[in-house]
Amino acid sequence: MTTERLFDIVNDPMRTDVRSPGRLGLEQILDAYQRDPDFASMVTRWERVPAVAPRLAPFPVWLDERIVRTLRGRGIHALYSHQAQALEAAHARKHTVVVTPTASGKTLCYDLPVLHEIAKDPSARALFIFPTKALAQDQLAELERLSTEMEIELKTYTYDGDTPPQARAAIRSAGHVVITNPDMLHTGILPHHTKWVKLFESLRYVVLDELHMYRGVFGSNVANVLRRLRRICAFYGSHPTFICTSATIANPVELARRHVEEDVVLIDESGAPRGEKVLVFVRPPVVNASLGIRRSALLTGRDIAATLLASGVQTICFTRTRVQTELLLTYLRSRFPQPQWPSDLVRGYRGGYLPSERRAIERGLRDGSVRGVVSTNALELGIDIGALQAAVLVGYPGTVASTLQQMGRAGRRGELAVAFLVATSSPTDQYVIEHPDFVLGRPPEQGLVNPDNLHVLVGHLKCAAFELPFDRAERFGTEDTPGVLSYLDEQGILHEAGGRYHWSDQAFPAEAMSLRTASNDNVVIIDTTAGRTRVIGEVDRFAAPVLVHEQAIYLHESRQFQVERLDWPSGKAYVSEVKVDHYTDAGLSVRIRVLDSFASEGVAKRSGRERFGRAHGEVLVTALATVYKKLTMYTHENVGWGKITLPEQELQTTSYWLSLAADATPGWPRERVEVALAGLGDLLHGLAPLFLMCDPHDLGLAVEVRSPHTERPTVYLFDMTPGGVGFSERLFRATDALLERAREHLAACDCESGCPSCVGPAYAIGHDVKASVAELLA
Amino acid sequence: MELRERLARVAAARAVLREVEGRTWKGSGSNGTGSADGEEDLPLRGMHVKRHQIDDETHASPSEGPGRRRERDARSAPFTTSEERHDLRELGLEIVGLTPPDPLTLAHLGLRGEPPRRWEDVVFLDTETTGLSGGTGTYVFLLGTARIEGGELVLRQHLLQDLGAEREFVGAIHKELEAFRACASYNGKAFDLPILRTRVVLALRGELNVDETHLDLLHPARRLWRDRFGSTTLRQLEASILDEPRGNDDVAGALIPDRYFHWLRLRDQRIIEPVLRHNARDVISLVRIADRVARAVMDARSGRVPDHARAALALARIFERHGEAEPAYRCYESAYVEGDSTIRVRAALPYTRALERRGEIDRAIAMLETLLGLDIGTPSWREQGESRLRRLMRVRWRKQALATAS
Repeated sequence: MTTERLFDIVNDPMRTDVRSPGRLGLEQILDAYQRDPDFASMVTRWERVPAVAPRLAPFPVWLDERIVRTLRGRGIHALYSHQAQALEAAHARKHTVVVTPTASGKTLCYDLPVLHEIAKDPSARALFIFPTKALAQDQLAELERLSTEMEIELKTYTYDGDTPPQARAAIRSAGHVVITNPDMLHTGILPHHTKWVKLFESLRYVVLDELHMYRGVFGSNVANVLRRLRRICAFYGSHPTFICTSATIANPVELARRHVEEDVVLIDESGAPRGEKVLVFVRPPVVNASLGIRRSALLTGRDIAATLLASGVQTICFTRTRVQTELLLTYLRSRFPQPQWPSDLVRGYRGGYLPSERRAIERGLRDGSVRGVVSTNALELGIDIGALQAAVLVGYPGTVASTLQQMGRAGRRGELAVAFLVATSSPTDQYVIEHPDFVLGRPPEQGLVNPDNLHVLVGHLKCAAFELPFDRAERFGTEDTPGVLSYLDEQGILHEAGGRYHWSDQAFPAEAMSLRTASNDNVVIIDTTAGRTRVIGEVDRFAAPVLVHEQAIYLHESRQFQVERLDWPSGKAYVSEVKVDHYTDAGLSVRIRVLDSFASEGVAKRSGRERFGRAHGEVLVTALATVYKKLTMYTHENVGWGKITLPEQELQTTSYWLSLAADATPGWPRERVEVALAGLGDLLHGLAPLFLMCDPHDLGLAVEVRSPHTERPTVYLFDMTPGGVGFSERLFRATDALLERAREHLAACDCESGCPSCVGPAYAIGHDVKASVAELLA
Repeated sequence: MELRERLARVAAARAVLREVEGRTWKGSGSNGTGSADGEEDLPLRGMHVKRHQIDDETHASPSEGPGRRRERDARSAPFTTSEERHDLRELGLEIVGLTPPDPLTLAHLGLRGEPPRRWEDVVFLDTETTGLSGGTGTYVFLLGTARIEGGELVLRQHLLQDLGAEREFVGAIHKELEAFRACASYNGKAFDLPILRTRVVLALRGELNVDETHLDLLHPARRLWRDRFGSTTLRQLEASILDEPRGNDDVAGALIPDRYFHWLRLRDQRIIEPVLRHNARDVISLVRIADRVARAVMDARSGRVPDHARAALALARIFERHGEAEPAYRCYESAYVEGDSTIRVRAALPYTRALERRGEIDRAIAMLETLLGLDIGTPSWREQGESRLRRLMRVRWRKQALATAS
C-alpha cells in the first residue's frame, strides 16, 4: 500500500469534523506504515524510544517557605533532580548551565533561585535575556503568576523595543526582574547604564535562556555584549551569577565559558519523565535511476502530514526555507478542500508573517483549533505552542541540535508521539539518512563562537569605550587590546587623556552595528492588488535579490503574488496577486578574490602522487543574482527564465581553499578538469557542514578552473558571515579527514554517474563527473 | 598579519558592507572644522561686555573689577573658567533681575516645582556636548551659566580641557549648580539636564537636583510663537523676537562636537573660540527670551494684550489653564478681533465660554451666529458650535423667562 492509498482510506470525504478524535489512532497509523511494503522500503531506521520515569528530589531546606508552599499548592511536591541541582548551584553563586530536553521544566531552574533571592532581599535584581521578544512574553506571564501566588513583592517587566517610553523610567528603577533580549541590551540598556544604577548595583543573577542560540556570528556578538555587561557591573560593584539553559549541544560548558568567561557548573541529567516516541528516517525512492533523481522530499512529507492530519493528529511540519514552507502549505491545503474541511486546518508560520498573525497561530496551536502548521525553523525555539503529537521534518534541518529540537516539538507526557525525518537529495541529507546514528547516536554539534573575531571585537570595543573609558592596561577579550585602543586613537575615534581612552566621536556606536547577520534592514512586500496598498510581509535585504526580484513569484499564506516593481534603494517590493502554475527560483553568480593567505601547505601524497594544496585566508566574495528560472508546481520542470538586474553584493570573509596539484590530473583535457572540479566542490560543500557541525547555508562554495591566486584549479569553501567565525581554519586542519569522508561517501553512493546526493547531477555537470572525482580522490 | 593592517582591513570591509546594505556610511573625517582660520573675535553685537578671568575654582568676587581676562594655564588645569559681566539694562532686560520673580508668571511659563523667590536663586544654563545622541559616551565639555549677582548678569563658562579631567570638571560644575534653587534652560528638560545627570552619576556617582525646579523656555516659547514664526529655535527667536539675527560667524551647532575633538588634538585657540562665543550667545539669548516671555504674560495681565492674534490666543490659553479669567477673556477677545478666519474659528468656542462666564450671553450668541453663517470651519467644529449655540439659546430663554416671571 502506498502512502496515497493509505491516505485515501483515512480521508473519508464525508467526514467534516476533524476536531473530534480521528478514526485511526496514531498507533494504528504507524502500524499501517510498518506493514506497508512501499513505505517500509523508504525507511532507513525505525526507532522506538521508550518512556522514561521521573527522578525526583526534595525541595532544598533553605528554599523560602512561601515558594515551597505555593509549589505544593500547585501539586508539585518535589523537584526533578536536575532542577534541585540547578537550584543548589545557583544558590552557591556558581555559574550554571542546564542542558535538558524540551519541556523538562527548565524555567524553574532559574525562576526559583531568583524568586528566593528577591524574597530574602527586595533590593536584589535579576536580568533575564531571551533571544527573541516572543519568548520573553511567555516567560513574563509565568513569572508574574508565580510571584503573585507566592505573595512575594516582585516587579517584572519586559524592556524591549515595544516598551512604551512612559513606562521605561519605572522599569529602570523599580523592576526586580528585567526581561530583555541581547539587541536591546546592546543598544538600549548598556549605553545608558547611568539610568539603570539600581539594576547594576544589585544585579545578582543573569539568566541566559536558549544558550545554544548564541553561536556563530550572533553568538560572537552576544559574548561581547556580555563582556560589556560585566564591565559595567564591575564599575557599579556587582558580580552577577549566570544561569544558562540550553538545548542539547556537544559542548555546553565550552560555549557557556565563552559567554561567561569564568568556570561553569554543568547540569545535564534530566530528571523529567518522557512519553514514548517513535522516530522514523525516511528516504524517498529513486524515480530516475540514470539521473539519480529521487522523489521530492516535499511531496513525500506532504503525504505523511496529510495522513496524520486526516486522522486528527495535531502535526507540525518543518521545512528548510520560506519558499518550501509556502509550497508545502499549498500542497497540503489542496488535499483538504473546503467546505468539507475547515479553512484554518493548516496554517503557515515563518519569519515574514506579521507578529499579530503569528500570535494568533500560536494560540490556535495551544487551544487545538489549529490542527496543523507548516513552519520554518522559526517554531523550533521555545515559543509556547504546547506539545504536538507528530512532527514531520522535510529535509535535514542542518544540525543535530536543530533536528532534536524540531523532533522534540512532538511529545506529550504519557502519550505516544512520532517524528519523521524526510531526506532531500542533497549530500548532507543523504549522508544523514544513510547514517541515522549521526543524529541518534552521537553528541550533537558544538556551539562555536569566536568573540575575538576582529570585526566583531572592534565594534564592541568601541561600544564599550562609549560606555566607560578604557584604562590603558585594561583587557577586552584576548586580542591585543592596547594595540586596538591605540589604533582607534590614531583614527580619532578614541582620545587618550590621563591614562585612559575616551570615546571621541559624535556617533552612537551601538546603533551602527546589528548583532544579527540578517540585519534589520528589510525589504517590505506591499500588496497592490486591486488598488490596495497593504504590507503583507518582509524579507531581509540579503535574501531579497533571490526572493523578490522583479517578476518573481512570491508565496504568502499559499497565495501567489508576482513582484511587479522592486524599489531597491528604499526597500519596497510591490506585488499583486496572480494565479499561475509555476514558481520562480533565482541563481547567484559568485566570484571570489584572495586578499591574504594565512597558511598554506600540501596535502599528504596518495599513491605516490601529489594531489592537493590546501590553504586558508581572507577573501572578498561578490555575489550577483543573474537569472531566475520558472519551475512548474509539483513537477518542478523548467518552463522559462528571465534576467535579474540588481546591484552586486560584496562580502569580506575568511575562506578555505583546496587546489589541484599538477600531478593530480595528468594529461586530462581541460573539460574533464572542469567537470571534476565542479563535482569535487559539490561533494565537499555537501559534507563539510557535517564536519563543522554548522548549517549548510553558513558555508559558501566557489570554484575556479584557474585561480589567479593559486594558479591552479581551486575549490573555495568560505564563511558566509563577514569576517568569518573560524570555519575555514577548522577545515584547513581537518582536510585529511574531510577527503577521507568524501571518498567513503562517493563509494557508498549507489548512483551510476553522479547524482545530487554526491557530486551533483551528471546530466547537468558532465557524464564522467563521478568517475573523474573518484579518480581525483583515489 | 600585522594587527594594524588587519584593523584597517576590517574598517574597509565595514565600509563595503555598509554600501552593500544600501546605507550611507558616515565618514569620520568630516571637514566641518576646516574653517577655523580667518575668523575674528567679534564681540557680541549690541552689547557692552566686560570680561574678566578667574584663576581658582572659588570664582572671582565682583570686586576683582572689569577689564581683566585671565585664564588658567590650559596644560596644567583640568578645566578653565571664564567670566563676563553684563549690565542688565544694556541687555534690554525689564523683568529678569529687575523686578522680583512673580510665582504666578513663572507657573504660567511651565515651571515645575517650588518657584524661586529671588532671581539670584535661578541659574540659566546651556551645555555644549560631544554628541547629540545622549548615552554615556556623550560628554559635556562646556557649561555656560548666567546668574544675577549684584545687579549684573554674570556669565560664566567652564571648559573641559581634556576628557581625562572630567571628574574634576563635573565635580566643579556640580558644586556650582547645586548652589541654586532653580534652573532655566532652552530645551534642557529633554537634552542638557539628562546628559548632565549622566555625567554626575558617572564621575561622582552622585545626583543632580538643580532641575527639580526647572523652567524650560522652549515650551512657553513654542506656545507663544510657533504659529507665528514656524520654528522656535533659539536662533529663530533671536532674529524674530530680539531682532538680532546671528551673523555668519556663528558656528553651526552640528559642527561643534567635531570642533572640540579637533581642538583636543591641535590645541589651537582659534578652533574653540567660536564655540565659546556660540555658547555665550546662547546663554545671553536664553535670559533675554525669558525676559520677553515673562513680559508678554505680565503685559497681558495688566491689560496690554498683544495685538498679534496667535500670540494672544496662546496667552489666553495659558491664563485659562491657570484660572485667570479676566486676562484670558481679554486675550481671547484680542485674538478674535485681530485674527483671520482660522484664528477666529479656533478662538471662538473658548471665547464664548469666557463671554458666558461674564454674563454676556447676547454677544456670545451673536458671534456664534455670525461665524456659523459664514460657513467656515470643519464639520466637527460646526457641530460643536451649533450645539454650543443651542445651549446658549436655552440659557438666554431661561433667563428671559425668569425675568418675566419675577
